[in-house]
Amino acid sequence: MTNYVKVVISGEVDIYTSTKLKEKLYDIIDKNDKDLKIDCSQLKYIDSTGLGIFAGAFKKAKEFDRKIYLTGLKSNIKKLFVITGLDKLFIIEE
Amino acid sequence: MGTSADIIELMLPLKAEYVSIARLTASGIASRMGFDIEVIEDIKVAISEVCSKYVQKGSSLAEKFKIIFTVSEDCLTITFNSEDKSLRCIFNKEDDELAISILNALMDEVQLCIDNNDDYLLTMSKYLERKM
Repeated sequence: MTNYVKVVISGEVDIYTSTKLKEKLYDIIDKNDKDLKIDCSQLKYIDSTGLGIFAGAFKKAKEFDRKIYLTGLKSNIKKLFVITGLDKLFIIEE
Repeated sequence: MGTSADIIELMLPLKAEYVSIARLTASGIASRMGFDIEVIEDIKVAISEVCSKYVQKGSSLAEKFKIIFTVSEDCLTITFNSEDKSLRCIFNKEDDELAISILNALMDEVQLCIDNNDDYLLTMSKYLERKM
């Protein structure tokens, strides 16, 4: 049995779509007691609105002593995590 | 393209659902100018950061805003304007740390807070690196 919950995020995360992501992601963290593995291979676009939600998810998961893994980040999106320093909060896997 | 700059203007309602239109337009113009795909992605993120901020903070103040793309031979300059000048200087260091660091890292020149006498609200530029 895996010790994490896998979440797949696809499409574009911006000010218009971010509320939906926030609700879903925070709900998953609330309702599970495992680490989170977020598959970002289908994530095409994200800006600071979306990055803020990731930061919030980290904070929430940390309260329950859980980790968040990010997989399949495209190079342009990984760059945004590095620029903002958020790469240090997550376990980024290729 | 001639030596003088071409101007493309886009007027958008201050609504979240239209931010993607700004990205698509920027993408089309940057692609037409010959920017690499990775740089185009950076420009898309930068324009989206500004538009999102206007939508977040300005929708109760103004109904629409204008994006002006100035296309010169080696530079794309993106300028923002609105009839409502209260949209001026809407980024602040405490609340918008992520957005400001992204803008400064992705664009070559960013002027977040233009002098009150200027007609524009905010401007940013990206230079085209010519391959030798």
